[in-house]
Amino acid sequence: MTTNTESSQRQAELPKHAASWVHEVLEPDQFSSAKQPFGRQRLNRRTIILLWGLRVYVLLMVLLVALQAWNVFHTAR
Amino acid sequence: MSTDFTVEDIKRADDRRRVRTHRAGQGRIQSLKLLWLLIGPGILVMLGENDGPSMISYAQTGATYGIGFFLPFIALTFAMAFVVQEMTVRLGAATKRGHAELIYARFGRFWGFFAMADLVFGNLLTLVTEFIAVRAGLGFFGVPPGIAVLGALLVVVAVVLSRRYWTWERITLGFAIFNLIFVPVAVLAHPVSSQVVRSFFTWGPLPGGMTAGFILLVMSNIGATVTPWMLFFQQSAVVDKGLTTADIRHGRIDTGLGALLAATAAIATVLATAPLFAHHVDASNFEGAAFAQALAPYVGKVGATLFAIGIFEAGLVAAITISASSAYAFGEVAGGARSLNSPLREGWLFYAVLIAAAAIAAALVLIPHAPLVFIVLIVNVIAVLAMPPAIVFLMLLVNDREIMGEHANGPTANFFGISVTILLVLAGLVYGITTIFPHLLPT
Repeated sequence: MTTNTESSQRQAELPKHAASWVHEVLEPDQFSSAKQPFGRQRLNRRTIILLWGLRVYVLLMVLLVALQAWNVFHTAR
Repeated sequence: MSTDFTVEDIKRADDRRRVRTHRAGQGRIQSLKLLWLLIGPGILVMLGENDGPSMISYAQTGATYGIGFFLPFIALTFAMAFVVQEMTVRLGAATKRGHAELIYARFGRFWGFFAMADLVFGNLLTLVTEFIAVRAGLGFFGVPPGIAVLGALLVVVAVVLSRRYWTWERITLGFAIFNLIFVPVAVLAHPVSSQVVRSFFTWGPLPGGMTAGFILLVMSNIGATVTPWMLFFQQSAVVDKGLTTADIRHGRIDTGLGALLAATAAIATVLATAPLFAHHVDASNFEGAAFAQALAPYVGKVGATLFAIGIFEAGLVAAITISASSAYAFGEVAGGARSLNSPLREGWLFYAVLIAAAAIAAALVLIPHAPLVFIVLIVNVIAVLAMPPAIVFLMLLVNDREIMGEHANGPTANFFGISVTILLVLAGLVYGITTIFPHLLPT
């Protein structure tokens, strides 16, 4: 996050004529420090259950993969 | 009129001005110039994902199964990758936010943390395998591991220090196009063209049938084309490049072209190593350099040399793109600089994360007795397993009309997106079941 003071310092180093064409070419949200914040999306119960289910799925499967790869690794040695 | 803009904005505006000039022009030349300006993220993400472990996986596939089932299967996985990556183009162009930033903003820190944990863990493991590929590829030419890894790290740093997205993108594209070096190797392997064509129509043959090894290769091949870092990278790159909703069509062409080029290189790798299958060479423990050496009797010294260069290139390009995806995500979550257009003074933390991600992986590769084989074994499989939650976040975001407006998914895009998610979950479940109950399938 940039402060106004930092921003003004940087602007002082930029060519004066840049202002017009930069604003003409870029869309408002394309400026690095001028993005409008998005609000939070409300997740319904089904989505939350799905996300938790997938989280558990990933953890279990990663454990399984690690276990199998470890076995393969040690068998190979 | 506000004048609150930065050096980063001026660089992006400069790129956009050129796009605007060529968009206003008429004729085929102007159209091609416009396409040239707008391509990049899609080709980079697809060729970037044709990385070290992916190319080894394709080589393993060719050596184990020859020409048959896996040729159309690889084409299918790239079609899946296109479906998923096209959504990131729309998300980036419509919201002007990177993927990590959007997940945190819309779903909060709790779910954002999980998405980031998957990304950071996956990226670190994958980056390690990229430096293993660099080491293996250059090892073919007798380059000592330390020099090979350090040299690749220096290239990653040098490309980033251009401090200009456009320059970084074009240099990386220049490296990435060498992924097609596997095509001449495939030609030198003299594949029977009728056999290649037949495999696309019959999805066969599949020597040995459904075995545990087959399931592992299926997982590896899927993991070689659809992975979480790709979502984060392409969306952030689309934003950094400055693409807008007017550029979505070109973003699609870029992604489609990337998928086509990457699928060509992947299939060429299978064809290149198919002679090992025909001559019953056991390639189950081969790494990159071993493949090149084993191929020499069938594709000649030139073919073997090209293969080793291809493995090196695959690792290098992926090291550049994956470390960038880590830095983009960090910048977006931390609220700091998140652009390759950032000047060093303002973006030092962004660049430091990018370089540190690559440097840590490079250092791990050089640790004596580090379990590198273990990491190579699991990296693609973990990528497949981490993908379903990542796709669900993607689907939720791309269906969010509040941020996407008219660019939200339609029924067709949802059908394909949900199909890919179900396929990935099923592939993971089949893998899990066959791991727990290994006697269900022949070994």
